[in-house]
Amino acid sequence: MPTAFPAGSSPAGSSSAGALDLSAYRLAAEPYYRPVGDEIAVFEAAWRHRLPVMLKGPTGCGKTRFVEHMAWRLGRPLITVAAHEDMTAADLAGRFLLTPEGTVWHDGPLTQAVRHGAICYLDEIVEARQDTTVVIHPLTDARRMLPLEKRNELVAAHADFHLVISYNPGYQSAVKDLKESTKQRFIAIDFDYPAPALEAEIVMREAGADAALARTLVAIAACSRNLRGHGLDEGASTRMLIHAGRLAAGGVSLEAAVQAGIVLPITDDADMRRALSAAISACFA
Amino acid sequence: MSGAVALAPPALARLTRLMGGRENLAASFADTCRRLAARHGEAALEPWAGGALALVEVNAGAGALLAFWRASLELSGRLSPAALGETGHAAAALCREAGGRATLAALDAFVEIAPRLAGPAERTLFWRALLALAQAAPDGVALVAAQARRLVRPGHVAAFEGFVAAGLKAAGRDRARQRAFFALEDPLALGLLARIGAGPGFAELETDLCRVLAALWGTPPPLQPLPPGGEAPRRVNIAGPVVRLPEVFPGVAGEAARALYRAAALHAGAHLHFGNPRFPIGKFKPVQMALAGIVEDARVETLAMARYPGLRRLWAPYHVASSADGPTVASLLARLARGLFDPAYRDPDALVGKGQELFAAARGRIDDPALSLAIGTRLANDIGQRRLRFDARGHVVEPAYRDDGLGLWDFSDIAPEAADEVELMVEAARLERREGGDGPPDAAPSPEPAGRARPRPAGETGAVIATYPEWDAAAGIERPDWTSIRAVMPAAGDTGGLRHALERAGPVRARIARLVKAARVGRAARLKRQAEGHDLDLDAAIEAAIARRAGEVPDLRVFRSTALSQRDLAVLVLIDMSQSTRARLADGAGVLDVEKLAVAMLAEALAALGDAFALIAFASSGRGDVRVCEVKGFDAPYDTAAAACLAGLSSGLSTRLGAGLRHAGAQIARVRAFRKLILVLTDGEPSDIDASGEDLVQDARRVVLQLRSQGIDTFGVTLDPAGVGSGPAIFGKANSMPVRRVEELPARLSELYFRLARR
Ligand SMILES: Nc1ncnc2c1ncn2[C@@H]1O[C@H](COP(=O)(O)OP(=O)(O)OP(=O)(O)O)[C@@H](O)[C@H]1O
Ligand SMILES: [Mg+2]
Repeated sequence: MPTAFPAGSSPAGSSSAGALDLSAYRLAAEPYYRPVGDEIAVFEAAWRHRLPVMLKGPTGCGKTRFVEHMAWRLGRPLITVAAHEDMTAADLAGRFLLTPEGTVWHDGPLTQAVRHGAICYLDEIVEARQDTTVVIHPLTDARRMLPLEKRNELVAAHADFHLVISYNPGYQSAVKDLKESTKQRFIAIDFDYPAPALEAEIVMREAGADAALARTLVAIAACSRNLRGHGLDEGASTRMLIHAGRLAAGGVSLEAAVQAGIVLPITDDADMRRALSAAISACFA
Repeated sequence: MSGAVALAPPALARLTRLMGGRENLAASFADTCRRLAARHGEAALEPWAGGALALVEVNAGAGALLAFWRASLELSGRLSPAALGETGHAAAALCREAGGRATLAALDAFVEIAPRLAGPAERTLFWRALLALAQAAPDGVALVAAQARRLVRPGHVAAFEGFVAAGLKAAGRDRARQRAFFALEDPLALGLLARIGAGPGFAELETDLCRVLAALWGTPPPLQPLPPGGEAPRRVNIAGPVVRLPEVFPGVAGEAARALYRAAALHAGAHLHFGNPRFPIGKFKPVQMALAGIVEDARVETLAMARYPGLRRLWAPYHVASSADGPTVASLLARLARGLFDPAYRDPDALVGKGQELFAAARGRIDDPALSLAIGTRLANDIGQRRLRFDARGHVVEPAYRDDGLGLWDFSDIAPEAADEVELMVEAARLERREGGDGPPDAAPSPEPAGRARPRPAGETGAVIATYPEWDAAAGIERPDWTSIRAVMPAAGDTGGLRHALERAGPVRARIARLVKAARVGRAARLKRQAEGHDLDLDAAIEAAIARRAGEVPDLRVFRSTALSQRDLAVLVLIDMSQSTRARLADGAGVLDVEKLAVAMLAEALAALGDAFALIAFASSGRGDVRVCEVKGFDAPYDTAAAACLAGLSSGLSTRLGAGLRHAGAQIARVRAFRKLILVLTDGEPSDIDASGEDLVQDARRVVLQLRSQGIDTFGVTLDPAGVGSGPAIFGKANSMPVRRVEELPARLSELYFRLARR
């Protein structure tokens, strides 16, 4: 599933390129996604009106997987951009490059999605600086426009263009937060770790674990999530359970798998590890 | 004998001569001498004789000398004559301070505990501790000697010295208190005694227990320490929502202590989670209470293990009772507990089997606590019919990780005819109630008020450390040396309350910790279009290339670099502790308590950031008596002493804000930092007994302006529920933050700091 924007090898975009081939960004097979609530219906409704969507929720709870699934379901290509601190507006929108013939404009991933009607997923948008984030403002209101100042061009969004961002509220500090004017442009869908039975189902399927192992892992996750605010910033994510589950299903002992997949990655504090290990050991016979 | 005298070395010769003249000692001395010589050879006895002579020289008396002979013979296989001589010298030194009787007792005690003392160093330690005691409280020596067996534990001799030192410190010159302490009749002494050779205890494990409880059962119950009682071992006590755990489990150390605490805490957690029924006590007898308790324990544990099967591994090691323990009721109850915990266990006594059967049959309604009462009553009837005597007073719940069972009962409707008997059991389980008087058995103990302040002795004013001018607005002049600042020694307070408050504030603290993390990393400022840097500024490079092709002069600053923003900041927090901070909030906490919590959180953050900071509290009683208490100076670390001092602040007197600010300004002016910040935490209006509030507002405003001209920013955080205070008038609108809800203060203060520190 080549969903991330392939930085070096992207199809060269230019103003003259008409219908660009975005087939590389199309999902061939259905990404497995287990619905937790009415998120599919909400997303489809938002899509119908092309309202930008913000997926809120802790790390590793299925946001990325959900977008992939929705892109497949709606039959749209998906362009994913992982935001980072050093990302500039040009990294999103595009820039001039030099060729032997002169300068050539190169569309950034956002511009590509805007021109050709893809779903653009900006992952962890708050990591980017606020002055970078504002480039999406004209795209996310009634204008649906992307101004490319450097090129002196105003790109009107393709009818199928849809913007989705992810946002992890627990993790942000006051230093990094979305501007109010950014937040208020989005339809929000709240994600959390699925209910135990559902989560066990997901772990079974994704990790190849049997039912008992999946249940134990989910119980362990519940313990770690209870420790939020008691010394842990975050509890174990569904992703972590899948990792530990794969180790255990692959023959590593449950204790070792849980240590390697959950306890060690989640905290560096020796006392916390000890308490967490004690709680975990209560979870299996 | 006379021939030997002539040849004997000098000390032994002198001793022999002296003893020969003492009727009541001569025979025993000769006998001792002969037996020691037989073992070591007479020539080796010289140092021993030296020790004995030392005792003679301090007029130790016949009793002490006889004790020395006894000790020498008893220990002759273990200690060399030289080591025995040392003992004599040490005993003589003791005798000089405490007299012959105390020395006698000490020597006898030494015989008893000498096998526990490893080498000369520990022997010295023992005698040194006694000597220190003798110098300060001579009466204590005999008392301590009588308890030496309990106080000197193998491998923990240093704790004996610590015990003596603690006793001397606690009792001061109060003779009665000294006696009570060293006779082990004092709660503090008992507490220390229990800790010798035990640990880690509640204090060390509390955080861990809280976490494990939170992980398994969600929000953890409040935990409190239970001071040790008399001889009987302590058990956990559940009082309403509060779980009280023994300060230590005597004799349990290291990993074993950690495991026992976890087992105990999680058992209590299971009670709170699955039941905690509070049966009306009515006419129930102690034996019924005990048995219903055992069944209820098994019930909640069964439920807990169904959810967390690993708990069986935690609890099983404590279920070791067997019929070999003897035919007592106590043993029978412990075996019943085992049988209900482990259905595979078989016991020769039919009662255990019957209990197992009834319990198994009730499986279908295991969610219902009433089954514990029903089964317990039936088993208690069997015990009654068999005429087995249940000792209500001596009853101790086994195994050790289980709670005392009293939390299951509601004592409010106790039937008069049962009251006496039940009282016996309750009393035995909860000795400390008589000492502490902490309410009826069914009342949850009220948690200590957070950061209880110690009352300060009246008239405790320190030396004048500075004088400052004050602005007289009416006259329009600044009166020089108008106010006098006195330093008061901060009283060390009880940090427990503050610590609990901090723990309860988990989410806010976590948020602050994240702010710290973000601030510490320092947000890298990205610098574009630099002449040098670690990578290319793509846009600048392209522009340069275009310029070159167009035949223009390119701008060669085509690099990007990053610079970490440096923190160079000093902050002083000025805390108002005047009378008005005594006001109470709805939840019972005082305003000052909230201030302390706020300051403690900020201090934690500042310490983590490494920013220079000081904490100063102030209050006033007229211009000649402005008291400041330096909780933490700029050079001091924020450690437990500072936290104790913060906890110890108490409300009182008035608020002469201007004087406090001038003093704060003088302190921070000495610090080298790029930015200097004074945060004032006050709840009210400036006031004092000898000045009008309006004048003091004017004065404070003037100080704020003066400080600003010195490059010191002053910021006022005012507790101002109505939003009508003078905060803005003093600090300026932009520099004052009125906090409407006092509860929000901790979060707001720290957020404010981070906002200010970023500018
Ligand atoms: N509802 C779900 N259905 C199917 N798989 C799921 C679901 N929820 C979580 N997963 C599994 O959890 C893993 C992690 O989810 P995902 O990568 O979507 O997390 P995320 O929320 O995007 O995390 P982050 O915020 O860290 O990017 C997925 O790879 C998938 O295996
Ligand atoms: Mg119990």
